[in-house]
Amino acid sequence: MKILETQELSKQFGGLIAVNKVSMHVKEGDIVGLIGPNGAGKTTFLNAVAGLNPPTGGRVLFLGEDTTGFTPEKMCHRGLSRSFQIPRPYPKMTALETVLTSAIFGNRLRKVKDPVAHSRKMLSFVEFPMAEETITESLNTLQLKRLDLARALASNPRLLFLDELAAGLTEGELGDIMTLIRKIRDQGITILMVEHIMQLIMSVCERLVCIQFGNKIAEGPTEEVARDPTVTEAYLGRQKKKECSPDTHAGAQVG
Amino acid sequence: MQTTKAKSELNLFDRVLDLLSLKPLGAIGLVILVILPLVPPFNQEYLIRWLCAAALIAAASVSFDFTAGFINIVNFGYYAIVGLGGYTSAILVDRFGISPWIGIFVGALSAGLLGFFLGIVTLRLRGIFAAVMAWFMGLALMGLATKAVWLTRGSLGLRVERLFDSPSNLPYYYVILAMMLVTYVITKGVTRSDMGLAFKAIGQNMDAARTSGINPVYYRIVNFTLSCTLAGLLGGFYAHYYGILTPEMMHTSKTVEVLAVAYIGGRGSLWGGAVVAFPFIYAMEMVRSSLSNLPGLNLILYGLLLILVMIYYSGGFAAFFQQHFSKPKNIILYYLVNGKKTA
Repeated sequence: MKILETQELSKQFGGLIAVNKVSMHVKEGDIVGLIGPNGAGKTTFLNAVAGLNPPTGGRVLFLGEDTTGFTPEKMCHRGLSRSFQIPRPYPKMTALETVLTSAIFGNRLRKVKDPVAHSRKMLSFVEFPMAEETITESLNTLQLKRLDLARALASNPRLLFLDELAAGLTEGELGDIMTLIRKIRDQGITILMVEHIMQLIMSVCERLVCIQFGNKIAEGPTEEVARDPTVTEAYLGRQKKKECSPDTHAGAQVG
Repeated sequence: MQTTKAKSELNLFDRVLDLLSLKPLGAIGLVILVILPLVPPFNQEYLIRWLCAAALIAAASVSFDFTAGFINIVNFGYYAIVGLGGYTSAILVDRFGISPWIGIFVGALSAGLLGFFLGIVTLRLRGIFAAVMAWFMGLALMGLATKAVWLTRGSLGLRVERLFDSPSNLPYYYVILAMMLVTYVITKGVTRSDMGLAFKAIGQNMDAARTSGINPVYYRIVNFTLSCTLAGLLGGFYAHYYGILTPEMMHTSKTVEVLAVAYIGGRGSLWGGAVVAFPFIYAMEMVRSSLSNLPGLNLILYGLLLILVMIYYSGGFAAFFQQHFSKPKNIILYYLVNGKKTA
């Protein structure tokens, strides 16, 4: 079953087309990776789907419902949750309160009996290393990422967006994150993740979607997309052909 | 289930305190405030007048902090809304001869209605922009009160019927003290509920709050409406206590006075401002009366204190208290400060 489908989704900022008619889908239970070079429009795409920055064209279908242009809170109530690339904490709240917001207000359509117990469960699920009364201001990036993840999970989502969860982590922490991502999937939560670290992508993602300059250039099983020459080209540039000297190559491009 | 069980184990006194969101220490403070104007050095009329002014500022700072300390929008038009409540009540009493008591409530409702619109108008604005919007709304209201001479008598001042016939300040003091308690109990009760969490979330990080399923439109409007209704209530008291209203009372400097007290007391604590207001207003009145050859000195002191608090104790008195006195070793002291555990 397709849990999320976008049809020719576009996002334009004035004259700049950040996402250009991207059609893709995510099947229930999958871990799908959204890859592409810096500035390709990955985060903009996520924001357009999740409602933080409504799309300017195309359609979003979530759980079979047309949710184009829905506000983030509506999407959250329907079962879409997201973590942020740069965690956005509530600086003066405690860790528990942070997760509580999502447990209480994100579950409007799916009642949680005891939000406090639920939040504690989420904190231990993501292996949050600090006491629950810690003020978020005093946490470091890794702890904030875990907290942000707990917050995103506390609304019991069907689909979870992970925006560069592993950015800036060490080798050892990467392993932990991999285990955590699989653990989340085993809870029955579908994941769409934006990521740069190929090691992580290759080991957890089942399918990949590659975007460059706002256009989708490849979609399919991980191995296939990773070997796709257009994808390598997007990341590393065009491979120079042996017979072309740099001058003629440049000339040919101009001509 | 667990919390209700824990609550039923408390005795009646503790349950009432819990209902009023008061700690035992706060209740003692309140009792002191009640008997203070009957005790010799304080039972002179001009000192009771100061107490009234302090209680008014205390109540205003509580309802001001309800917006500034939670949804993080500094309502610079606060005293204009107080003024609106006052004028509405005063004009109704003057023209239609209704009782001032009813007038106060109608004034509060009209202020609440304005708060509702202010909430809608500032919806798309964040932080400082919303504050500026509220400020301009306040300035516009003040301009209206100055220019609509046929209604408000402009800067000549509108004479208002007082609440009580007696010239004594004492009954007024108890009325404003009750209003202060009501303001505190309502705002604290709301912020202790889930709604308070939503207020804090949208105040501290709008995007995270929205992706957590919090609808900022609803909570912002509720917050503004409630805060402004309480402001209007206080305005009604102001009008029927001082007996005269001029557009000057809606001036921004009045709001800044409330802001200073609320911030020195502790942003986001609600009780901090109420506690600080009494010694503070007393000290300021002292300064004003003993150094009357230096007008405006109290405003400079406000500014200085505010800067000092912002630099060294951004959490204000409440944070200072929390940090140093919230966990005393002595059991009795612990009970006084923290009350009985409920959950």
